[in-house]
Amino acid sequence: MRVILVDDEHLARAVLREHLGQHPDVEIVAECANGFEAVKAIAELQPDLVFLDIQMPKLDGFEVAELAGARTNYLFVTAFDAFALRAFEVHAVDYLLKPFSGERLAQALAHARTRLAAPPSAQAPAAQALQDVVTEARSRQLPLERILIRDGVRVQVVPVASIDFIEAEDDYVAIQAGGKRWLKSQRLAELDTQLDPRAFLRVHRSFIVNLAAIARIEPSGRDGHCAVLRDGSRVPISRSGYQKVRERIG
Amino acid sequence: MHGVLTSWRAALLYLLAWLMLGLLLTAMLAVSGVSWPASLLFALPLVLLYAFASGYSAYYVCRAYPLGPKRMAAPIKGVGLTALCAAGLWCALGAAWSSLWQALAPTLALAFNRTLVTSMFGLGVLLYGLAATVSYLMIESERVRELETRALQARLMAQDAELRMLRTQVDPHFLFNSLNSISALTTIDPAAARAMIVQLADFFRHGLGLQADRKVTLAQELRLVADFVAIEQVRFGERLRFEVDADAGAQACLLPPMLLQPLVENAVKHGIGQMLAPGTIRIRAARAGSLLQIRVENDVDPDGAPAKGGGIGLENVRQRLAGTYGHEAGVRWTREVDAFCVELTLPAEASAAIMEDRSTCA
Repeated sequence: MRVILVDDEHLARAVLREHLGQHPDVEIVAECANGFEAVKAIAELQPDLVFLDIQMPKLDGFEVAELAGARTNYLFVTAFDAFALRAFEVHAVDYLLKPFSGERLAQALAHARTRLAAPPSAQAPAAQALQDVVTEARSRQLPLERILIRDGVRVQVVPVASIDFIEAEDDYVAIQAGGKRWLKSQRLAELDTQLDPRAFLRVHRSFIVNLAAIARIEPSGRDGHCAVLRDGSRVPISRSGYQKVRERIG
Repeated sequence: MHGVLTSWRAALLYLLAWLMLGLLLTAMLAVSGVSWPASLLFALPLVLLYAFASGYSAYYVCRAYPLGPKRMAAPIKGVGLTALCAAGLWCALGAAWSSLWQALAPTLALAFNRTLVTSMFGLGVLLYGLAATVSYLMIESERVRELETRALQARLMAQDAELRMLRTQVDPHFLFNSLNSISALTTIDPAAARAMIVQLADFFRHGLGLQADRKVTLAQELRLVADFVAIEQVRFGERLRFEVDADAGAQACLLPPMLLQPLVENAVKHGIGQMLAPGTIRIRAARAGSLLQIRVENDVDPDGAPAKGGGIGLENVRQRLAGTYGHEAGVRWTREVDAFCVELTLPAEASAAIMEDRSTCA
């Protein structure tokens, strides 16, 4: 079993390494001290299991799991996190509490082995459970302050304040921020619920705009409108969107 | 009456008042034609006796019929009836007293006639009413004092509870992560594991020994903070740097316990803990005349989200400062791109001055 250890504390990695040394079938293929390294390592090495600390700088464990995807198995490790523990219990996601015993780790490993040995069709519930836990963790931090985008093996952090507008493109959203355009696999309606409604407005079925980025509103076409943004780009506004804009900007 | 007798001064004043009344009654009798010695012999003992009898009984009657905002009838009825009985008894005693002197020394006795009985009865009722009023006043002031004591006790208990909460508020992460570090060190470096256990014990022992109403010197608080940081440095290694710069004058100043520790804890958790690169926590304290200024500053991740309004820890510090010093103390915090800074300003109390205060209070 190929595993990756992710923890920002070297002693925490050391104790995991020591315990895992007791299990000859376990091979540690990488150790990461932060979330960015972890996302990269998971994408490149495709391990069977990731020991993932929750509290880390920049990217926490849930964000790493969200970005790296459910193709691998995660074993969350935390010292104390009442919210996360409840989510783990509810969705039957395995976790380790620091400090842990060798027996507890062996038990978690056995659990992971059974999951790995199961046919792919049996993997779906576990992936769904992981997704649910990640969504719950995310909902605790709303409205979003930054949007995380995985770009190959790199992670891009886009602060929401720098966003000009967001456009729906099939199953993706295109995020226009500071003259750059980022694609993220997410639905526009979902992203709309995660943004601060005081700063962002859905002006069109396919567009969310940052109110602070609007330079002016212009008529366009026959009784239509569009927003001209600070960078000069134009965003169409639907009829109902125009009502909302007028209420907000006056 | 009970209340009156608990203090000698009050009892003396009470007796003096009744003595005056006795003399007044004597004078009234003398004016009405009775000889002075006879008046004195009759009035004074009776008045003093009545002083104790009415005083004691009124106190218990008043307790039995407490004054309420709505129920005024019961106390009036209760006190009134007892007053009539007491006055009647007093008249009977008066009659007995006068007939006793009539038998023993007729020259010193006075005629116990109808007028005397009437005025004595009237006076008895009035005096009893007076005693009842005094008792009500005493009971009321006792109640107020009790309320004050209870309020003071409640405030002390609340302060203690607050400190206890602060103590347990020491982040569970801190405890469990430290234990995890020790777990790792036991095989890698047993001596370091033992050192960390001792540091952890020192930190908690120091914290558990604190009392909310007993201020500590800045030097003591800084020692607690240093213990805390030393433990965190085992976890964070090179990532956590710590600098303290406090002049001797500032170190001797007093402040409420556990004031800086939560700030440093926040600095580690939200500042250094969120950075990939190493970061520094700096504490600077200086005494400027009658003010003690403390500055806790830490590096933060420039890309990190700006702190949302300061958080619970800072609000707690603000409240504790306001509770202890009122408007004389203040806290403000500023977030720059790569640093977070909290500045506390509080009255500089030297530790010796407080000792004196304490001894005069005790």
